[in-house]
Amino acid sequence: MTRLLVALTLLLAFLVAASLAYGDVSLSWRELYHAFTGTGDPDPQSAMIVHDLRLPRVLLALLVGVALATAGTITQAVMRNPLAEPGVLGINSGAAAAAMAVIVLIQDPPVALLQAAGFFGAAAMALAVYALAWRSGTSSLRIILIGIGLSSLATAGTTFLSAFGDIGDVQRAMVWLAGSVYDANMIKVRLLALWLIIPVTLAFLTVRELDLIRLSDNSAKSLGQPVDRVRGLMIVLVTVLSGAAVAVSGLIGFVGLVAPHIARRLVGASYAWILPVAALVGACLVVAADLIGRIILPPAQIPAGIVTGLVGAPFFAYLLWGRRHGHG
Amino acid sequence: MAMDEEPSAKISGKGVDIAYGQRRVVEKLDLSIPERRFTALIGPNGSGKSTILRAFAALMKPSGGSILLDGRDLTDLSTREVARKVGVLLQGPVAPEGLTVGDLVRLGRYPHRSLFSRWSADDRKACDEALMLTGTTDLSDRALDSLSGGQRQRAWIAMTLAQQGEAILLDEPTTYLDLEHQVELMNLITTLVTKHGKTVVAVLHDINQAARYAEHIVIVKDGRITAAGKPDMVISSGTIADVFNVKTVVIRDPVAGTPLCIPL
Amino acid sequence: MTDRRAGHMTATDGGRLLAFAALLCLLVLAALSAIALGTVAMPPSTVTAAIFQFDGSRDHLLVTTVRLPRIIAALLVGSALAVSGAIMQAITNNPLASPGLLGINAGAAFAVVSVMSLFGAGIGDLYIWLALLGAAIAAIVVYALGSFGAVGQSSLGLVLAGAIVATFLTSLTTAVLIFDQSTLEAVRLWTAGSVTGRTMAQARTVAPYILTGLVAALLLGRHLTTLSLGADASRSLGQNPVVWRGASVAIVILLAGSAVALCGPIGFVGLVVPHIVRMIVGVDFRWVIPFCALGGALLVVVADAAGRLVFGSQSFPVGVTIALVGAPFFLYLARTRLRGEA
Repeated sequence: MTRLLVALTLLLAFLVAASLAYGDVSLSWRELYHAFTGTGDPDPQSAMIVHDLRLPRVLLALLVGVALATAGTITQAVMRNPLAEPGVLGINSGAAAAAMAVIVLIQDPPVALLQAAGFFGAAAMALAVYALAWRSGTSSLRIILIGIGLSSLATAGTTFLSAFGDIGDVQRAMVWLAGSVYDANMIKVRLLALWLIIPVTLAFLTVRELDLIRLSDNSAKSLGQPVDRVRGLMIVLVTVLSGAAVAVSGLIGFVGLVAPHIARRLVGASYAWILPVAALVGACLVVAADLIGRIILPPAQIPAGIVTGLVGAPFFAYLLWGRRHGHG
Repeated sequence: MAMDEEPSAKISGKGVDIAYGQRRVVEKLDLSIPERRFTALIGPNGSGKSTILRAFAALMKPSGGSILLDGRDLTDLSTREVARKVGVLLQGPVAPEGLTVGDLVRLGRYPHRSLFSRWSADDRKACDEALMLTGTTDLSDRALDSLSGGQRQRAWIAMTLAQQGEAILLDEPTTYLDLEHQVELMNLITTLVTKHGKTVVAVLHDINQAARYAEHIVIVKDGRITAAGKPDMVISSGTIADVFNVKTVVIRDPVAGTPLCIPL
Repeated sequence: MTDRRAGHMTATDGGRLLAFAALLCLLVLAALSAIALGTVAMPPSTVTAAIFQFDGSRDHLLVTTVRLPRIIAALLVGSALAVSGAIMQAITNNPLASPGLLGINAGAAFAVVSVMSLFGAGIGDLYIWLALLGAAIAAIVVYALGSFGAVGQSSLGLVLAGAIVATFLTSLTTAVLIFDQSTLEAVRLWTAGSVTGRTMAQARTVAPYILTGLVAALLLGRHLTTLSLGADASRSLGQNPVVWRGASVAIVILLAGSAVALCGPIGFVGLVVPHIVRMIVGVDFRWVIPFCALGGALLVVVADAAGRLVFGSQSFPVGVTIALVGAPFFLYLARTRLRGEA
């Protein structure tokens, strides 16, 4: 297991380095080293490209990947449904509706407003889903169904706006919604990192609860878990993690769905291992997606959210069907 | 089966009502589970035995009356406190794909571990012992979904044992077990009671099995207790006909000397 | 045992038959009213006259060329989506399943968008065939992928394969639309889902497929109930899951593919109507299918009429009003009808 963690960390490090080196202006590895460490005779332009343009972007992608993968792992455990991802709680549709509303209704909205709207849209939806699903306790099925119901309403709002809003606005909204770490700077990175410290730590500390809640309500209760309280806590964690990711980078889909599945294929069914592996896998996915989006069709920049769908999907298919896999 | 002193009640319910929504399943139930004994709950399908078991395991809240565990009301205890004292295994438990037997049994230590506690020697001993008692030590690295029904059942029982609760509640534990393993399980229960001082309650569908191994039998029909006591006192052709609607003749089991009922 | 009886009225076959008849009458009434109402309100007698004793007057023309096709499209699409949604939920055993899960919506959208982007927006009614083709190909790929290998033994394979293919195609579609504003302009109303502007010719094109699919689904009722018990149970009951799952998928392609071809991707109906119907009628698919057909048709007709009347716009995307009408009712049911256990 530890070998796997080391291997994944090395892979991530390699992807980060590649993201710093490649792009519109590609640096050789030596130039990258000099620019990064400030030794030798660094070309000021390379240093700027690495430090001001690419480094924040890569770090943002990494953090977003960790957040999405962690949220996705928790969601699948709590919902006991392999199709579940944070979107089930209405988070994605709430964020999308809020963001679409801001873009279409407000002339040239500042980016900060867009992010705040995305986050609050996500949080409001999650709260509404939980509140409506509460009926002397919660149940996974009821949460899923209420999530579907409320998501439909939010999506209806988004669809309405996209059908009748100004075409330029709508296209801009689609780009944002497609998910991208395009607009990155170190301030955002620091803010996101600070924001994520507590929820990610909490998630890792309470990883045992996931193992239990993944069984049935009765089994978990019989082992002493206060199921409703844990479910509530987990939903809060998912909302915070996912909402933050959406606020910063729009809807990068698929990572929250796929990273836990990949982790499970690699390390088995115990969440103490699944969670860290999924987090690393998620980080690799988003960093790689952003890199590919930048270099594959220059000078066009394909948003990372689209790349995760285009590349992640076949890769996931390969993982599921490519080799004989046994259990245990 | 030593029957020296009258045992005190481990779990007792007074005036218990249990309902599913509007439908009352159990009404005004008074039931005492004797400490350090093997109690069998028997009764026809739909009589409420599983419901009673669930309530006594604090998995369901009674709508009326109270249930006491070691003298304390169940509703006053936290889920964790209950789990440390009572292990329960219901019918048909589901485990996620790929979970191994070892993983499952380790989950049984949850009520004893706090947020920051590391895996201790006590935890490991409890798991090893649980695996050994159920004969599943060799299976600990196998995935649950690759095992037979009987092996899976024994793994779940091992998990319950790893909890090291003083009381163990089992709902139809012999359902998937072949004869060899049924006998093994019954012997295990007997060992747990006599050697380890546990209180075991099992819902059994086999009256003769209950009569042979249990020290205390409770007959449940339509959510009420029709009889409770030692097998000799409770199993008679009259009671069986009343409760199960089957005419039987009750003789002495030639091996164990306990009541054996044979349908006519 | 511990089943929850859904409602006194629908607990017996007689009760269900009565409810079905009532729903049918309600549907006919709703359809007629929907045709009668609008910017030019006309009495129902004119509507029936237009259908049965057509005399070429302006009102009658309005009915036969604008409103009737629209309502017929709504009826067809609503029933097709709801029934295919019920089938999807049966074969995948997953409450999150919908026809979109097979990649049908994604395939249709991709086919339409990519052809329009390459050849321009003036393709006329050809888009129906494109959408149907795209939907069918996507669904077949999903089905093939999902039945392959060890994962394919359970319904999980189909679910994951669908998610993969749908995501892939949607990403491609979004990529095209982000860079091609003129295509976005041309398709965005279609992608929102709409029954406006459907002509009799268009409705007639897809009607045979939808009707065939509905009949097949009705005949399949008993087998669907068995399928919904899960792979193990259905095999032990002597049902070959591969054959029946394949047949079910074919029917879903027919129904949902035609629906999306005619009116664009309309969400919610396929996902939610089956839930509502199951909460009221139970899990016997011999009843679920017909009730879904009526319920889905009713929902779309009412939603479309509401969109026209309340919002006063002729081209209000029906997908939006469907959610506005159906979601509150669905939420109410989800809150009150489910037991407290997962």
